[in-house]
Amino acid sequence: MKVAGSSTERSLSWRRMLLVAVLGILAPRVFAQAPSPADHRAQAVTQVVLGILSYARWPVEPAQLRLCIVGPTQYTDDLIKGTTQATGRPVLVQRLLADHPDIVNACNAVYIGKLSGDERSQLFASLIGHPVLSISEGGDQCTVGSLFCLRVGDEQVSFEVNLDSVARSGVRIHPSVLQLSRRRAPEP
Amino acid sequence: MSALNVRPTLRSVIGRGHMILALVAVSLASVSLTLLGVLALRVYAEHNLHLIARSINYTVEAAVVFNDSAAATEALSLIASTEEVARAEVFDANGKLLAQWVRPDTGMLSRVELELAHTLLEQPISQPILHQGRTVGSIHLSGHGASLLRFLLSGLAGILICTALSAWVALHLAQRLLRGITGPLQSLAAVAHAARSERDFDRRVPPAQIAELDSLGSDFNALLGEMEAWQSHLQSENETLAHQANHDSLTGLPNRAFFEGRLIRALRSAAKLNERVAVLFLDSDRFKDINDNFGHAAGDAVLVAVAERVRAQLREDDLVARLGGDEFAILLAPLHKLEDAQRIADKIIASMDQPISVPGNTQVLTSLSIGIAIYPDHGATPGTLLNAADAAMYQAKRLSLGGQQTAEPESPVVNVQHRS
Repeated sequence: MKVAGSSTERSLSWRRMLLVAVLGILAPRVFAQAPSPADHRAQAVTQVVLGILSYARWPVEPAQLRLCIVGPTQYTDDLIKGTTQATGRPVLVQRLLADHPDIVNACNAVYIGKLSGDERSQLFASLIGHPVLSISEGGDQCTVGSLFCLRVGDEQVSFEVNLDSVARSGVRIHPSVLQLSRRRAPEP
Repeated sequence: MSALNVRPTLRSVIGRGHMILALVAVSLASVSLTLLGVLALRVYAEHNLHLIARSINYTVEAAVVFNDSAAATEALSLIASTEEVARAEVFDANGKLLAQWVRPDTGMLSRVELELAHTLLEQPISQPILHQGRTVGSIHLSGHGASLLRFLLSGLAGILICTALSAWVALHLAQRLLRGITGPLQSLAAVAHAARSERDFDRRVPPAQIAELDSLGSDFNALLGEMEAWQSHLQSENETLAHQANHDSLTGLPNRAFFEGRLIRALRSAAKLNERVAVLFLDSDRFKDINDNFGHAAGDAVLVAVAERVRAQLREDDLVARLGGDEFAILLAPLHKLEDAQRIADKIIASMDQPISVPGNTQVLTSLSIGIAIYPDHGATPGTLLNAADAAMYQAKRLSLGGQQTAEPESPVVNVQHRS
């Protein structure tokens, strides 16, 4: 079962890579003529999220990186497709409800969209003490509990880091990422 | 003259040799050292450039992953500005320029440095930015050759200083060497010149510091010594021969040739100064008898004794010579008056009164007959004077043995004086 499953996954990932490659070749020509700002932002968000994931180390490295998208989001159209990291580790992306009971075991990382205050505090309460990397789409709630908070702009997608949360989560983040965020913090 | 000018002196040959040697050695050493240094520096510079690229790589990696142009630019300038980098560029995976840093142009020197770096280094170097084994971008880096230029300039200065220093040392050494060589050679030449031109064989070459020159000098000295000995030997031989040619070996008196030579000179000088000269012709009266009765040894002893006694009666400047056999001649020059010559003749005749000891414990008595001729009264030439004196002597001998007779210009015999 496991062997078969992995082989299907592999073929799947092959196809996906082919698709990505074709898109990669075609995309600049297709989108160059009509670069939609929404698509551009979505791609930038994907790049930043995958970058954060690539600089993160879990206490026990998972074979597959499971990224859960929680709540309504704006820029995950590209991210939801899933991808493979440069190390060859696949990144599985799935949408979950905020009150999913086993979110700690189902996800290595959560991408948090717009949540109400209760949902948010409940979610973070369940994440406490577990090595789950959390990224908030909105930059305004970064003090609450999320490790990373994105600031999505037209030019660039930047992020902030909540060092307390990083320290508490048990997920280790590469210092250069921390430096990148800290340098960016005083920027408006 | 021109050949002498063209021919180089020892000083110039040695000086030029030292100079060429020093210059060649210094320039070879410094050029090869500089080349090696440049090669080594080139290797280090490229290595350094790669190290800088790698450190830029680490620093901008996250910025490239997150496509953060500002952070990449800041990191780039942070590193590049403190290193020997002329231009640094960071591209993302699509080849888009993400960050760039260019060293500000600071005039002429930096342009020279850039040119130098372009000629010597293989640049710009390009290094991929890897993140988790995947290329996420690339770095293009070109260095500037400040340290290369500094090395080359200091190398050039070193070459110049070393060349000047070694040239000075070479000249100094050449002069010292020259002093060691030319000093002995000059004294050798001076001694040789003195020996050749002045026959001065007393001088010797002083000892030299250089072994070959010293042995040359001592050989030369030995040669000089031999020449000196040879010269003095020749001189004494010549003197002996001259004495033998001019003197009578038995009595030690000058011979006829010597007497005639002196007579000629005396007549010449007398003619000039208007003086008078007397020639006395002496002949032993009984010499043949003594020879026959007592033997030749006794005859020789009589001749020696007569010579001594005659010599004793004369002034230092007067000359007595043995003309041959028992004939003697006296030259009195200058003569003041005839009476002086006659007085001397009397004294000589008187000196024969003492007997003469001859071998065989016997004593013999002899007497002299003397003829006197006066220049210019009795003749103007040596021959006529001698003849006149000779004739007067025979006249005296005919009149009485052991007497004297003065020559007469016209009529032969007058004025006979008799000794009592």
